[in-house]
Amino acid sequence: MAVRHLAVVVILLGAAAAPLAAQPATAAAVPRAANGKPDLTGIWIATGALLLMEGEQAIAAARASDTAAGRPPGNSGEPPPFKPEAEAQRQYFLGRRGVDDPMGRCLLTGVPRINFRPLPFEIVQLPERVLMLYEIHHAFRIIPTDGRPHPEDAEPSYLGESVAHWDGDTLVVDVRFFNDKTWLTGVGTIHTEDLRVTERYTRDSFETIRYEATMEDPNVLTRPWTIRETFRLRPNERLREYECIEDNEDLLRLERVLGDSASEKAP
Amino acid sequence: MRQFPFWLAFAAGAAAAPIASAHHSFAAVFDGEQFVTMTGKVVDVDWVNPHFHFSLDVPGSDGAVTRWRFEGYPPNMLVRQGWRRDVTLMPGATVTVEGWLARSEPNLGAVRWVTFADGHKLAGGPPAGTGGR
Repeated sequence: MAVRHLAVVVILLGAAAAPLAAQPATAAAVPRAANGKPDLTGIWIATGALLLMEGEQAIAAARASDTAAGRPPGNSGEPPPFKPEAEAQRQYFLGRRGVDDPMGRCLLTGVPRINFRPLPFEIVQLPERVLMLYEIHHAFRIIPTDGRPHPEDAEPSYLGESVAHWDGDTLVVDVRFFNDKTWLTGVGTIHTEDLRVTERYTRDSFETIRYEATMEDPNVLTRPWTIRETFRLRPNERLREYECIEDNEDLLRLERVLGDSASEKAP
Repeated sequence: MRQFPFWLAFAAGAAAAPIASAHHSFAAVFDGEQFVTMTGKVVDVDWVNPHFHFSLDVPGSDGAVTRWRFEGYPPNMLVRQGWRRDVTLMPGATVTVEGWLARSEPNLGAVRWVTFADGHKLAGGPPAGTGGR
């Protein structure tokens, strides 16, 4: 009898353990920093960017995993809630197939667009600041979390000025003082220096961060525009070099490909 | 003059609106509908940013050889796909290349896959219209 009972117990334990074994990563606890907040430290990449690294199957599996975990889907391509004048400009840039993209000149990408690049970025969480290191552009953000305000001498810049605070387990980053030389996300999503972005980073599992960015710019947007994405941990990754400007002669080619349309004026 | 920017193939980012614009950016130079396969001998390889590229001499049915130019991932991404500079793809090697034709520039392509003489296959560039619908 004892042996039989033991066998039943083993079987029951095995059945209970099976789902855990199928999802070992999500079963791991969210790491915490000394102050009790989630530790965002790690190398991450946007789910959408997996397409570049690993192909169509990888992104489909990741999206399915997000759905199963109740995470919101990545932005589905909803157009920005632009004012008519801004939308006209966006359509103009789309018509030119992205030839005017600031990234085409290897210029820094702004926030939140830089978080969706298909190259990984590293977050280093320190007691009073968070560092974000981007493989693309060799870019970095140093984000104070000690309660200090934005610097008084901030000048408009590509990545803006970031300060952050914790809202429960969510890191909330307030980004202001942008220049008007970047696009918000996709081709033609222009903005002005009045842009303000609020980012929310929530490490909801060992391997994922829920990301949300709300963009406000009353000059181009009719209302705040929020986009969402899941960042995925890349435990075996390290940041490498990508020097966009090395052999960047593509603009001449694109102008040639566009031909006559390249000489049209923006509305 | 022959590089197509790595960043532009996914200018919109798959997660960020508008998704379709990434497809347009790819389509600015390449035709995502014209997927081709060709076998030839590697002439040269440039391991450079923002795209590596290589030349391929491809014999036609009439015996004439056409020199094709392909471009793909930058070095940081090639390494992640298992490539090594001066090891993986060498001049003189015969390989089979799968990729998309340029829309207007002759004998130019965007590489997706390279199959080597021993049969193994590596991704040489991103999917067409990456971030597309």
